[in-house]
Amino acid sequence: MTQPLLSIDDLHKSYGSEEVLEGVGLEMDQGDVTVLIGPSGSGKSTLLRCVNRLTEINSGRIALDGEDVTGADTDVNELRKQVGMVFQDFNLFAHLTALENVTLGPKKVLGMDAADAEAAGRTHLEQVGLLEQADSYPAELSGGQKQRVGIARALAMDPELLLFDEPTSALDPELVGEVVEVMRDLAAEGITMLVVSHEMDFARSAASDIVFLDDGEVVEHGPPEQLFQNPTADRTEQFLSRLHAHEETA
Amino acid sequence: MAAILLQTADWLFVVDNMGLLLGGTAVTVALTVASILLGFAIGFPAGAIEVYGSDRARRLVEQVGVVLRGTPLLVIIMILYFGLSVSSSAFVTATIALGLRSAAYQSQIFRGALQSVDDGQLEAARAVAMSRFEAIRHVVVPQALRRSVPGFQNEFTIVLKDTSIAIVIGIGELLTTGQNLYEGGQSTAALEIFLAVSLVYFVLTFATNRSLDRLSDYYAVPEGTT
Amino acid sequence: MSTAESTTSPLRDRVGTVFTVRPLTIGLTLFWIWVLARWTTDFVLAGVFGLDRGTPFLPAAPFLTAADTVASLAAPLGAAGAPLAWFAETLQFAADATAYLPALAHGIWTTVLLTVFSVCLGFALALPLSVVRVYGGRWARWLALSYTELIRGTPLLAQLFVLYFATSLTQVLRGVPGVGVGFIPAQAFWVAVISFTLNSAAYQSEYLRASLDSVDSGQLTAARAIGLSKLEGIRYVVVPQGLRLALPSWTNELVYLIKYSSLASFITVQELYGRTSTLANETYQYTELFVLVAILYLALVVSASALMDRVESHTATAGVGHTRQ
Repeated sequence: MTQPLLSIDDLHKSYGSEEVLEGVGLEMDQGDVTVLIGPSGSGKSTLLRCVNRLTEINSGRIALDGEDVTGADTDVNELRKQVGMVFQDFNLFAHLTALENVTLGPKKVLGMDAADAEAAGRTHLEQVGLLEQADSYPAELSGGQKQRVGIARALAMDPELLLFDEPTSALDPELVGEVVEVMRDLAAEGITMLVVSHEMDFARSAASDIVFLDDGEVVEHGPPEQLFQNPTADRTEQFLSRLHAHEETA
Repeated sequence: MAAILLQTADWLFVVDNMGLLLGGTAVTVALTVASILLGFAIGFPAGAIEVYGSDRARRLVEQVGVVLRGTPLLVIIMILYFGLSVSSSAFVTATIALGLRSAAYQSQIFRGALQSVDDGQLEAARAVAMSRFEAIRHVVVPQALRRSVPGFQNEFTIVLKDTSIAIVIGIGELLTTGQNLYEGGQSTAALEIFLAVSLVYFVLTFATNRSLDRLSDYYAVPEGTT
Repeated sequence: MSTAESTTSPLRDRVGTVFTVRPLTIGLTLFWIWVLARWTTDFVLAGVFGLDRGTPFLPAAPFLTAADTVASLAAPLGAAGAPLAWFAETLQFAADATAYLPALAHGIWTTVLLTVFSVCLGFALALPLSVVRVYGGRWARWLALSYTELIRGTPLLAQLFVLYFATSLTQVLRGVPGVGVGFIPAQAFWVAVISFTLNSAAYQSEYLRASLDSVDSGQLTAARAIGLSKLEGIRYVVVPQGLRLALPSWTNELVYLIKYSSLASFITVQELYGRTSTLANETYQYTELFVLVAILYLALVVSASALMDRVESHTATAGVGHTRQ
């Protein structure tokens, strides 16, 4: 029996006296695409940031490939070679071109030599449709282009798991599509993705599992057809109906 | 009055002694460059410590900075030259005094610049598995240095003008040279001498600012139209 | 005034979140009590009660005995007693300092006068200069800019020398009735004031110009829209906001002038540095005296920053200028 790629167990996280994550559990196999949904403040982004330890947990266990990554002796930098992240605000390195953004990690962290890193970098940029913008600086790119570079940058480290923290929330509506398309392609290629997003179309069509988070706990989870058509919990139903109402008026 | 102020004979005196004045200018420039470099060598790490250092290190750097920024340059020079006698060379002592003062101010420039780089930059660098040090070095510092340029330009001209204070320990810099000429007997040429000296300072300041502008344009990251 | 807040104030950034508030406030209060007591005794009471000006408040004797005691403790210890020996020397200097302090306090008076006059007169000149630079016609703007650039591009000391050695300003001032009489300082002081004023005006006008520029142009538009003339709009709407935005730069300017007033000693003004220098040349106690005077300057500088801090808090309006977090 193969063990899950990612295993989160009874995760607790508080900021001061406020408990943001109250015993969250979650499992992902290789190739899974899990989408976290829920109202704002439910702890979705916090959960994501705990996985690559940008945020430290209070108690619980997170295991990657069976190995506990929350211990004090875990090499955080090693962890981040396995787990990549795409940010809501892109966070592209402002002083570097798109290509340099993508090759910085491979060159400095993975020790690739410049020529190899560049070749690989161009491949990744092509994968997200931005080969022509390789020498452009972030300030010269549109929001959607910036985010796609962000995805290429994360892919360039060849991670086992890709985290997406509301990747399209900071984009103008007409630019959302190009990013979602890239994400769909990645899902189809079998990349393991843990996504926090409000893009329900993507969730419906590409996700293997939807997890509904509310008030710091997992209320329910299941495949999209099941969760969207027949939610078991009342809270899930209420959230989904609010979402539908919004989508219909949008 | 105007006739007294602008006599040709006095201007000729200045022209005759141009060599001396240029010599003084060279000393001024050398002193400025040496002090700025010393200031950078100490000031940049100090600024980084104020942003990233441990509590104790930060407090120490801050306290030393307050003292250096709150003491008149004249007093610093006197303590170093006549008090502690750090060097028998007036030039070296002046460089150390100016350098220390500049370091205290440059640390503030770099501290501000480092702090102004968005936190997200550091996070993204860590997310591609860079260590904190690597992230600061490859992502934060290059951006911070670019943002420091206006402050650094300012500091350069301040140090340039402050070299005149080294007159108190008799270095042959520009103002001292002018003063010596004046005291050397041609007291009617006072206005011409000091105007000439001021003009040289002005030209130096202007030239420095323009050069640093060019430099900053060369290294600037292109701004987009989005 | 917790240290947590203070890291975000641009003022504190300059002074630093250095000292905790308690010892600093106590130290500064003691400093000013001494200074004011000295000034009152020597300038006011001495004349009235016929006291000797300049008699030290503290007798030297206790310090001397303490110094001797510590020195005798240190002697038998040899090399290990070095720190004690150093302490004994410090006490010895403290004994000497009791005699120096009155003169230094007089120097502080001159320094404070120099600074206050120059900043205030400089402001009076800077405000119209900055308004001209932002709102003036092409030639007026060019003139104001030239003045500012010339002054800011040349050393203060050179400007001082020009006014003192190269013009007949000193003679003119000597002729002004009242100069040098009684408490009114002599002509060299006034030359310094004029030079510092012209210098400060240039720098202040640059700060003010930047602040006035940063006030949103919509403010003036709105002012005109309710019928105010351009000048009234500048006066009642733009300048009040601009002044608040410029407050941090005044701390800068105040600190700068306190330190650079020391240059007045080059033209015979007996301010704090000048008096220290004279004493040092007489007693050869260079390190001790200059360290003492550094402490005194620091006290002045920190007091000025603290004062400006107060002014900023009192005039702060939400949404204008720097907010405290």
